Amino acid sequence: MTASAGSAPDREAYLRAVRAQARRHRLKVTLWQAAIFIVFIGTWETLTRIPWFVANTIFDPFFISQPSRIALRIWLWLQPGKNSLWPHLALTLEATALGLLVGVGSGFVVGLVLSQNKTLSEVLSPFIVGLNSMPRIAFVPLITMLFGLGLGSKVVTSWFVVFFLVFFNTYKGSVGIEREMLDFCRTLGGNSRQILWRVRIPTAAAWTFASLPNAISFALIGVVLAEFVGSATGMGYLMITSLATLNATDMFAAITVLSIVGVGLVYLVRFVERRVLHWLPEFREN
Amino acid sequence: MISLDHVGKVYQSRTGETWAVGDISLDIEDGQFVTIVGPSGCGKSTILNLVAGFLPPTSGHVRVDGKEVAGELPDSLGYIFQKDTLLPWYSVRRNVELGLRFHGMSMAEMQRRVDDLLALAHLTGSADAYPHQLSGGMRRRVALCMSLAVEPRILLLDEPFGALDTHTKTHLHRELLEIWRALKQTVIMVTHDLDEAITLSDRVVVLSGPPSCVLLDEAIAIPHPRDVFELRQTDAFTRHFTSIWSVLGQQFKATA
Repeated sequence: MTASAGSAPDREAYLRAVRAQARRHRLKVTLWQAAIFIVFIGTWETLTRIPWFVANTIFDPFFISQPSRIALRIWLWLQPGKNSLWPHLALTLEATALGLLVGVGSGFVVGLVLSQNKTLSEVLSPFIVGLNSMPRIAFVPLITMLFGLGLGSKVVTSWFVVFFLVFFNTYKGSVGIEREMLDFCRTLGGNSRQILWRVRIPTAAAWTFASLPNAISFALIGVVLAEFVGSATGMGYLMITSLATLNATDMFAAITVLSIVGVGLVYLVRFVERRVLHWLPEFREN
Repeated sequence: MISLDHVGKVYQSRTGETWAVGDISLDIEDGQFVTIVGPSGCGKSTILNLVAGFLPPTSGHVRVDGKEVAGELPDSLGYIFQKDTLLPWYSVRRNVELGLRFHGMSMAEMQRRVDDLLALAHLTGSADAYPHQLSGGMRRRVALCMSLAVEPRILLLDEPFGALDTHTKTHLHRELLEIWRALKQTVIMVTHDLDEAITLSDRVVVLSGPPSCVLLDEAIAIPHPRDVFELRQTDAFTRHFTSIWSVLGQQFKATA
């Protein structure tokens, strides 16, 4: 085949083949995900309907409910009215968003500052590691006493978890910038403020982004934790009251809603990340 | 004029002292292209670091235009590292603009200067590409453009083409010579490749193993413009190669 005659249609064909391959790959991934989901839910649903399993194993709907009941409960919750889920979900999400915002913001700034101040970071290091090693659950009653039963204590608990995660990532990213890169920018005439904005912050931000999926999950967990201990609203409150009334369906319905929300938020962040950090090796299109 | 006056550098570390640069004196005229060769560990890169003011010398004086460098970055100095120093989140154009943005240049003038540079380095077609989409040779050219954008009068090149294949390297040699002939910076290059040293420079300085001193300082009597592809087959090239290698080869052998 000659280049002059065949190059244009060849390229079209090549692009079509590449797209078809990408579609096949996506389909394969989706099918596997569906298969895993169906097997999991199917086993749960089936075994909780077989009397022997109900009597002799944990597959007792009294404890673990049943996917069909959970789905029905979520459906009912989604309807407007007295038992609607929406106000609870909204409050939990509001607190999660605020906790994330405060946690990511403060973690990023502190990480960036400490990465540029060796003495300060060495002085604070054991305190930060020590604080991060404390079981957050132990602090929740105290936080609730200090910040009340509403939004405040939820945001603070959430921040307490998210901050460290983001801090450690940002710090590591910023400290890891190569000496040569900074020296090179100095020879180009950059002062430290300019180098901060154009080199240090973007480098650190890539690492901060990498911590966001975890930060989201932990922010959500932090809020639910606070709602467990002291709140009359939110998804955590729904869970704790269903536990108190031994209502497994309510509890699993709440857990399911939370994990769907988590998956949604993480995918949203990945989508943004792919746009913003298109230059990272993992997002290269080949 | 860059002058090194009995310069020495000792690196201190927990495990002991490393005496990298022994006693080096060199005077480099404005517009001269000088290459420093020598066995590894002889402090070639250290000398560049001293001239750039990234490190203070342990003994002696480094002066640029009569002014003591002493750990301060001299004005109008460009430094090309062996490592990649492109910002991966910027396009080629934005990378080349970096230094000009540091200096707060107006958009129109910046555009014009960057266009000229990209044309000079044969990068016009890749202006909107990102570093990860470029080959190694192209990334080197971008780094060179980034540095040239701020019009340095001194250019320090630390094994700039070390990681490239011979073909790409030779093309870059030609471009570097073109750029140097157009802009006439003072260049100090460090390399372990003697072919490259003779091809590019006015003067080749051979250092001994550490603690290093100058063993040979040979002027390369090959007129410009040079044809980098034909040069290696000329008698003049062979003569210089033989005479420098007689010293450098011994050093390589001794420090192996």
